[in-house]
Amino acid sequence: MPRKKASPAPRKGFIKTIVEVEGRTETRVVEIPAFEPTPWGPDTALETVGTRAVRVDAGEKVTGQAKYTADIARPGMLHAIILRSWVARGTLVSVDVDAARKIRGVIDVIGPGDAPAKTRLFPRKVTYAGQPIAAVCAESLHAVTAGIRALRAKIETAPFAATFEAATAPDAPLVRSKGNVAEGSPVVNARGNLARGLARADVVIEREYRTPVQLHSAIEPHGAVAEWQGDQLVVWESTQGIFRTREQLAEGLELPQSRVRVIKQYMGGGFGAKNGAGPHTFVAAIFARRTGRPVRCVNSRKAEQSDSGNRPATTQRVTIGAKRNGTLTAISLSADIPLGVGGWEGGPGQLYHELYACPNVRTEETFAYVNASAMQAFRAPGYAEGAFALEGAINALAAKLGMDPLALRRRNYAKTDPRKKRPWSGNALLECYEQAAARFGWDTRDSRRGPAASRAQVRRGFGMAAQIWPTGGGPPAYAHVRINADASIDLLTGTQDLGTGARTILSQVVADAMGARLSDVHTVIGDTGSLPYTGNSWGSMTTPSVAPAARMAAEDARRMLLDAAAPMLGVPLGKLETRNSTVCVRGTDRSMTFAEVTKELGDVMIIGRGTRGPNPLDVSVATFGAQFAEVEVDTRTGVVRVVRIVAAHDAGRILNPTLAESQLEGGIIQGLGYGMFEERVLDPATGLQLNPDLHDYRIPTIADTPVIDAFCVGQADAAANHTGARGLAEPPIIPTAPAIAAAVADAIGAELHEIPLTPWRVLAAAGEV
Amino acid sequence: MQPPMRLTVNGRAAEVSPEPGERLLTTVTERLHLTGTKFGCGHGECGACSVLVDGRLTYACLALTEACDGAAVTTVEGLATGETLAPLQRAFIAHDAAQCGYCTPGQLIAATRLLERNANPTENEIKVGMSGNLCRCGTYPKIITAIQAVARGEFAAPAR
Ligand code: FES
Ligand code: FES
Repeated sequence: MPRKKASPAPRKGFIKTIVEVEGRTETRVVEIPAFEPTPWGPDTALETVGTRAVRVDAGEKVTGQAKYTADIARPGMLHAIILRSWVARGTLVSVDVDAARKIRGVIDVIGPGDAPAKTRLFPRKVTYAGQPIAAVCAESLHAVTAGIRALRAKIETAPFAATFEAATAPDAPLVRSKGNVAEGSPVVNARGNLARGLARADVVIEREYRTPVQLHSAIEPHGAVAEWQGDQLVVWESTQGIFRTREQLAEGLELPQSRVRVIKQYMGGGFGAKNGAGPHTFVAAIFARRTGRPVRCVNSRKAEQSDSGNRPATTQRVTIGAKRNGTLTAISLSADIPLGVGGWEGGPGQLYHELYACPNVRTEETFAYVNASAMQAFRAPGYAEGAFALEGAINALAAKLGMDPLALRRRNYAKTDPRKKRPWSGNALLECYEQAAARFGWDTRDSRRGPAASRAQVRRGFGMAAQIWPTGGGPPAYAHVRINADASIDLLTGTQDLGTGARTILSQVVADAMGARLSDVHTVIGDTGSLPYTGNSWGSMTTPSVAPAARMAAEDARRMLLDAAAPMLGVPLGKLETRNSTVCVRGTDRSMTFAEVTKELGDVMIIGRGTRGPNPLDVSVATFGAQFAEVEVDTRTGVVRVVRIVAAHDAGRILNPTLAESQLEGGIIQGLGYGMFEERVLDPATGLQLNPDLHDYRIPTIADTPVIDAFCVGQADAAANHTGARGLAEPPIIPTAPAIAAAVADAIGAELHEIPLTPWRVLAAAGEV
Repeated sequence: MQPPMRLTVNGRAAEVSPEPGERLLTTVTERLHLTGTKFGCGHGECGACSVLVDGRLTYACLALTEACDGAAVTTVEGLATGETLAPLQRAFIAHDAAQCGYCTPGQLIAATRLLERNANPTENEIKVGMSGNLCRCGTYPKIITAIQAVARGEFAAPAR
C-alpha cells in the first residue's frame, strides 16, 4: 500500500510583492503558497478552460430570478431616500424635519449630527451640488417620496469653483481647507532627457486635447439593504468589493468587521463606481440601527448621474518629437485634472510612459479639487483619457510625417517595458496590429473611401489606435474547494461577478484543475459571512488574481481525493489521473467516479485551500490591443456614424472566448459613448448639473452600435501567473475614442482635439461653423 | 386608499390597491413581488422596466397602475411556459446576450413585442425596435444576434 503523501507543508512565510491596481503600484505583504501548481502554458491541453461554456447564471438572468439589491425585500422593510444639496458650495444652516415627520408612513429623519462621525455623512459644509444633507425613511416608496418633498433645508450659498481654471485661480474659493491643488501636484514622472530628445527630433508637434467628465451610468443605480440580525449588521449591496464595503461599514459605524456581513449575489454593472460603501449604504445601516427594521436605500437616477462617481475631465498638452523615419525621440505631457471634491490621482500620464519605446518621456499632471462630485475609477481610469490625447498626437505626427499611422506605431513598438525596463511577461501587440489590420482591410481602405453617389455630402474615414493596460492582478486572494459527499464540488471565494462572467470562468478553472465536469462545479461568491477574502473586482484583476487561487484550491482538493482513491484502487498515487469527474488508473480501464470515492469516505469532507501567490518581479504584466474604426461623416450636419470597429486584444490565455468577446464589445461600446456622446455638463452660473439623467446624458443605444469584430490574439502567459490569463475587462475601452476620432479626422481632413465628437465640434473642426 | 382593482399578471388574476399616482413598476415589484422587472431611471429613459400591457410595449415606470385596471400585464416572469423557456430566453443564454443581466428582462420583453409585430425583422428594424432599451454593459451585438437566431427559427424547439 502506498505511503500516504504528507499533506502540503504549512505556508512558508510572508514576503512583499508589488501589485498594480488601475495604474497605481502598491507594495503588499503576501504569504508564499504551500505549493504553486505547474503553470498552464500555451501547450497545456485543457478540457473546459478555453471553451465557450455558457454563463452559469444566464438562466437566472433571463427569467428574472436573479436577485439584485433592489429586489431584496425583507419583512417589515422601510425605504429610505437621501436629500441632496442643490447648491455647489455653502453652509447648511438648518434642516426642518417637522413637516416631513408628519407625513403618514414616515418613520425617521436624519440630518447633520445624526450620523456617526466616521461616516462623514451630512457635514454642514456643502462643497458640491448633489452632496447628501439629510435622509428620510418611511413605510413605502410613496411615503418616503412625500417625506423627502416635505423636508425643508436652508443652505447659505457661497462662491464656488467647479472647473480646474476657477479652482486654481489666485483668489479661488477653497474647496478643501488645505487648498485646491492636491498634495503632491504637479506629479512629475520622467525618463531620459526631454530637452535633448526634442533637440534630436526632425519633426515636433504640439497639441492640446480635452476630454469630458464621463459618468458610469450603470443601469442599476447604487443601492443597499441593511438589516440587523441579532448583533450583526447584514448588508446587501451592489458592490465590486464585498470585503472593502465591510471594512468601510465597520469603520464608519465603529463595529468589529465580524459583526458586519456584506452580501452581493447579482449587480447591474459597476464599471468602477461601486467599489465600496457609499452614502446610501450608511443611510440604510443607520436607519436600520435606529428603527430596528430592515431598510432599503436605492439611488434615484438623478443621484446616480450626479453623485456616484465619474471619470474626471482632462486637459492634456502634448509635445512629441520624432525622427523623419518616425522613431520617437521625445514625448511630453502637461495635464490638468479636476478631480471633484475628492478621489484619487488616476491621471492620464502613465500610459505615455508605457505604450511606446521612446527614450525621453516627461509627464506632469496637476490634480485639483473642484466643487463637483468626486471622481471614482471608471473602466481604465487615466488610460482612456490618456489614449485619446497620446494616440491623437501620434496620428497627427503620422500625418505630418506622411507616414501610415500603423507603420509609425510598429516602428515605435516597445519590445520591453520602457517604463520599468524589464521584459513583458507576454506581448502580442504586433499580432494585434497585424490581425486587426488584416480583418479591417487597413491596407485597402482607400478603395472604400468614396461616398455613395446618392449621399455626396457623406465622407468616409478610417482610423486606428492602440492600447496598453497593466493587468497582472495579484495577491491576496483565497479560495476553498470542497468536495461534498455526493462528489458535487463547491468553489468558495469571496470575489464578485459584476456581469463579467467571473462565476463561470472560475467554475471552468476548477473543473480543469480537478479533472471534473463543469456541471459538477458550483461557484459560491459574494458573501463576507462565509467566504475567504479576495480583493475588489477592479483593475481587471479578478481573473488573474482569483483564478490562480481557485486553481490551487482545486488541485489541493484533487490531491486529497487521489490520496483517498489510491488505496481504494490499490495503486500508487502516481498511476492516477482525473477526468470527467472520474479517477482513472493510467494505462488501464480501472477507474472510480468521484462519487464512488466520496461514498467510501462517508462524511469526511475534502477541503482544498488555495492562495494567490506573489507576482513575478522580473517581468511586467500588461494587456495590449489595437482597434480600427470606420466612420461616415455627414459634412453638412456634422453627424458621425461609426460603421465598424475591428479590435484585437492580447490578454494571455482566454478562459472563455465568448465571455471575452462580450467584455471587448462592452468596452468598445462604452468607448464609443465616450468618444461620441457622453459629457457631464455643469451650469457655469450655478455649478448644477444640467444633464443628471439618461436622456440629456446620452449613452449609446443599440441603434448606435456599429459592426464590431472583436477578438483575442496571443497565447497563454505562463510568466504572468500559473493559469496564463491576464485581465481583459478594462483594456477595450481605451483605444475606441481615439480610433474613432482619427477616422473622423481622416474623413473631414481636420484633426479633432476634444471629445465627445458632437456635430458642432465636427463642423467646427471642419471649418464649417 | 383606492378601491381594489384587477390586473391579470402573467395569466394570473391579481387584486391590488395602489396609492394614488402609483406606477405599474412599483405595483408589480413591491406589491406583487415580481422583481424581474427593473428600476433604472423611473422616467422612461432606459427601458429596464419594460412590460407588456395588453400586448403593448410599456415602460412600467411611467404607466399609472390605476390606468391599467382590467389589463393583462406580462413581465419577464411570464415569458417561460412552466419550466420551458421561451425561444428568446434560450437564444439570449446561448448568445451571451446578458452580461450583468439588469437590463435583460426589459430587453426580452421588448424583443418579444418586436417579434410579435415583425417575425422577420432586418437588422435595422431590430435596432429601431430595441432602441428604447439601454444596456450599459454593451450586449447590443449579442442581442441582435440572438433575435436574428430566433427569427430564423433556431430556438423554436425547446431544449428541455
Ligand atoms: S425605469 Fe422605466 S424607463 Fe427607466
Ligand atoms: S447586461 Fe448589464 S446593463 Fe445590459
